[in-house]
Amino acid sequence: MTKNILQTSNVTKDFFISKNRKIEAVKGIDLEVKQGEIFGFLGPNGAGKSTMISMLTTQKQPTSGEILINDRPILENPEWARQKIGVVAQHNNLDKGLTARENLTYHAKYFGLDDSTANQRADEYLEKFGLKDRQHDFVRSYSGGMAQRLKIARAMVHQPEILFLDEPTTGLDPAYRAILWEQILALNKAGTTIFLTTHYMEEPEQLCDRIAIVDKGKIQAIGTTEELKELIPANNIISITFSDFSPEFAQQAERLPEVENVVVKEEELLLYVKSAHPDFNQIMEWIRTLDTSLETISLSKSTLDDVFIHLTSKGGIKDDRTA
Amino acid sequence: MTEQHNTQTKNSWGAFKAMVKRDLLVQLRDKWEFVFRVAMLPFMLILLYGYILPRIGLVSNEFPNQMFPGIVGMSILVTGIHGTAIPLTMDFNVSREIEDRLMAPVNVGVVALAKMCVGIIEAWIGGLIVLPLSLIFMGNSLDLTLTLQGGGLLLVVILLASISSATLGLLVGTIIKPSQVAAMFPGFLIPLVFLGSVFFSWNTLHVTPIIQVLVLLNPLVYVNEALRAILTPQLPHMSLFISIIGILISILIMGYWGRKRFIKMAVGN
Repeated sequence: MTKNILQTSNVTKDFFISKNRKIEAVKGIDLEVKQGEIFGFLGPNGAGKSTMISMLTTQKQPTSGEILINDRPILENPEWARQKIGVVAQHNNLDKGLTARENLTYHAKYFGLDDSTANQRADEYLEKFGLKDRQHDFVRSYSGGMAQRLKIARAMVHQPEILFLDEPTTGLDPAYRAILWEQILALNKAGTTIFLTTHYMEEPEQLCDRIAIVDKGKIQAIGTTEELKELIPANNIISITFSDFSPEFAQQAERLPEVENVVVKEEELLLYVKSAHPDFNQIMEWIRTLDTSLETISLSKSTLDDVFIHLTSKGGIKDDRTA
Repeated sequence: MTEQHNTQTKNSWGAFKAMVKRDLLVQLRDKWEFVFRVAMLPFMLILLYGYILPRIGLVSNEFPNQMFPGIVGMSILVTGIHGTAIPLTMDFNVSREIEDRLMAPVNVGVVALAKMCVGIIEAWIGGLIVLPLSLIFMGNSLDLTLTLQGGGLLLVVILLASISSATLGLLVGTIIKPSQVAAMFPGFLIPLVFLGSVFFSWNTLHVTPIIQVLVLLNPLVYVNEALRAILTPQLPHMSLFISIIGILISILIMGYWGRKRFIKMAVGN
């Protein structure tokens, strides 16, 4: 059995915004992250993701609960824990007074490495992240994508066992996101455990071994993508478009056998069914009775997006409760 | 356990050195900014009060002598506060560059100490820049006494003064926000300097007893009075013992409070 690299039990965090008003940003989170896995931590804005990452990385202290890295409590050993973890913040916190290379060598020295090891590591990670040509440039001249790669390279210089990535691909174009993911996957293959938060649902769906969906400071569900998809009542969707759409169609469709749920999305009818092989004959028969003609019909599997929407109430944007 | 402790100490020392080196490297890259920031205020004061006004006859020829220790003390204190406080508030609030250092596997107090050490080094450089300026413009009017024993005491006082300036800088840096930096000059540094016994000895303030008591809150008073006691003992000054105690108390209070605020900012709450 793979051992847990990170474990939390009943972690809570309250913020006092005035003497009598507190916000419970995290309300008791239990997590187990296994060594070597890519673990996704998903949730809408204000769900408590950033607060949780801050606590897991010793940057904030929990109000209560315990966090263990390699079975050792990090609250009592924050200095030791920081040696084991690498953190890539959401914002650009690179050292703008230094060049890209210096960002890496100084980071290495903050971690107690000597000059020659620091230089060796800088060479290695500049090469790995394709930044060698621009290593002597000041980071203020770096594009968003390059800065992001440098941030990950810097977090890796002391060779942590677990790397925390807070929204690593936000603001990057699709091509750059793909490159970045390739590099993150390579780090994982080499043995680094990855803990990440992201807004883009297709990324964790494709890349994460396990995912936790968090909302209102609590874990709503945890498991593999497939396991999570099982949580929605029907995870196959029949999408139908008509030449003339009428809202009545939705009410009629609800009465069809097999159909668990009906959603109208911009004149498109979405029928949620349990079976991966629904009886299309019955549906076609029903469509023939309608005062319109069929334009398109297709069957698709639900995505993590659907799970996310299902589990996080509205799934949409809520008020930002944490920075 | 001891081995782990030793590694921890070695790592802390390595991280501390790297953090100090990083700050000095970044400052040195903009050395003219540093020179202007440190030298301009004392230079203008020396030029006006030490050179022009005595020549016009508006202040006596004795005045430069009265002012010299104050200018040295002021330069050390202002440079040290500035060198610690401004980068600290910027690093924390604007660029958030300090986050990488706060994630180092050392006690966050090490990061605060490194910031203060840079302030101390800058304070020394501030003092060193003022000396030749003073000698060039006021050399003829200066009547300084410096024995061997005095020289040793002078180094101790300058060291304490620079530590005091860095602790004050640490505290100020954790209090002010970047948007308030512009207000820091008229709101904090100017009262500190003008009520810091730069141009006159604290003893002569007996003519305004309330002010004489109030300025005892100002650490610059003790620094300048200690320098006066060593450099110009013939002029009125506070006792060296009391002024050194004053500096030490300011270091303890500002250092304790500054460190507490720094850790609170670093670890959040």
